[in-house]
Amino acid sequence: MTAPTTPVASPGIVDAVRAALGSVDDPEYPDLSIVDLGLLETLTFDGGVARVGLIPTFGGCPALAMIESDVRAAVEAVEGVERCEVTWLRSPVWTTDRMTAAARRTLADDYTVVLRGPDGGLRCPVCGGDEVEDRSIAGPTRCRSIAWCPTCRNPVEVMRT
Amino acid sequence: MRRTWSDAADFQAFIDEGGMVEPEDDMPAAYRDEVFRFIEFHANSELMGGLTERDWIPHSPGLRLKQIFLAKTQDEIGHAHLLYMVAADMGVKSRQEMLDDLFAGRSRFHNVFHYQAVTWADQIAIAYLVDAAAFASQRAVFAECSYGPYKRILKRIVAEEGFHMRHGEEMLLRMAEGTEVQHTMFQEALDRWWWPAVQLFGPDSDPADPLLAWKIKSQRNEVLRDAYIQKYVPLLQGYGFRIPDDGLRQDADGRWVTSPIDWEPLKATMRQGGPDSRRRIENAARNWADTAWVRDALDRSAAAAA
Repeated sequence: MTAPTTPVASPGIVDAVRAALGSVDDPEYPDLSIVDLGLLETLTFDGGVARVGLIPTFGGCPALAMIESDVRAAVEAVEGVERCEVTWLRSPVWTTDRMTAAARRTLADDYTVVLRGPDGGLRCPVCGGDEVEDRSIAGPTRCRSIAWCPTCRNPVEVMRT
Repeated sequence: MRRTWSDAADFQAFIDEGGMVEPEDDMPAAYRDEVFRFIEFHANSELMGGLTERDWIPHSPGLRLKQIFLAKTQDEIGHAHLLYMVAADMGVKSRQEMLDDLFAGRSRFHNVFHYQAVTWADQIAIAYLVDAAAFASQRAVFAECSYGPYKRILKRIVAEEGFHMRHGEEMLLRMAEGTEVQHTMFQEALDRWWWPAVQLFGPDSDPADPLLAWKIKSQRNEVLRDAYIQKYVPLLQGYGFRIPDDGLRQDADGRWVTSPIDWEPLKATMRQGGPDSRRRIENAARNWADTAWVRDALDRSAAAAA
């Protein structure tokens, strides 16, 4: 992830914009910010215009328009910002590596959604069991598949990469 | 870790203290049966709702709305899948038995999926009014929910239904601010969907309903229904729409009071005797048969990989 940069000397505003972006939650996870999910790629500020470059978790995600309008509303509320332009970037491609540790924790603890380990293995977020079995490649959203933990007998959802 | 309770009072005390029942626990048979039936009803409703939305994907105006209806369909079918997993695990019926019962018209699902969506505006009425009613009732189950695996699924379902509601509001706004034709179209849809949406909450709760005592339901039906009416009557009127209830009035405290509700239409849907019940059930059964090759291909590919 390239470091967000600013071409003019308004570090205060860029920090404020970044903080505003951190307050925008993913519409399908009401307590997970788009920054923690790793959607923010670029941020510049010039002449009153904040330009935000985001990358979608999945093409065809139905939340993109909603995220875009939430971002615009949050950023344009920052003092000194006249306008916010949001661009959906085609590269780099989003992977679960972009998610912060906080996002992973929230997903596992609050939503019973986990990421595959480096060896492809799954650990149950409910009981810690390591015999989680894949059940369906398609889950309720584009970004998740369905698995089952035979140890505690709970469905587990898995973020797809 | 398997917990046991000496008797019904002992179990009730556990629930009253906020205890969460897990699959391995030796839960009372009556609890297992009632909770199973409740989850089966929810699973059936998600499946029937998802299939309704699927029918409208080709008819949605514009690529963005097609994308939204595709995603909503995937959401509902995914929810059904998760719920059937948890229900089947309770050992009362297998998933196949639940589906067989559904397709044979032997089991129940939400009243709102027994009606026909006539125009695109009906689909918006469903997204705005019906999804909101379903959301309110699911959120009330999530609020307590003593069965662990169900509560964990509900967390995600409630988050996703909240997202659907925003789509519904967006679509409604477009109709409300649109042309006279659009306004009339939505009014006609509202005339068809207002009462089914209000009836989704069901008649007043029986005070002896064990699901209340066992904290599956956190609120009585009439409380949820009233909160819904207080919220949606002014919203719809504010958009310039008319509630199809000539007896609607405000009491001395300004609270909205509807005409007495005729529960016959709701009861008819519970006997699969709603206006569109037969076609919907046949459609679901045909869909299941038509997609057998997909399940077969997945099974073969999994077997080959193993």
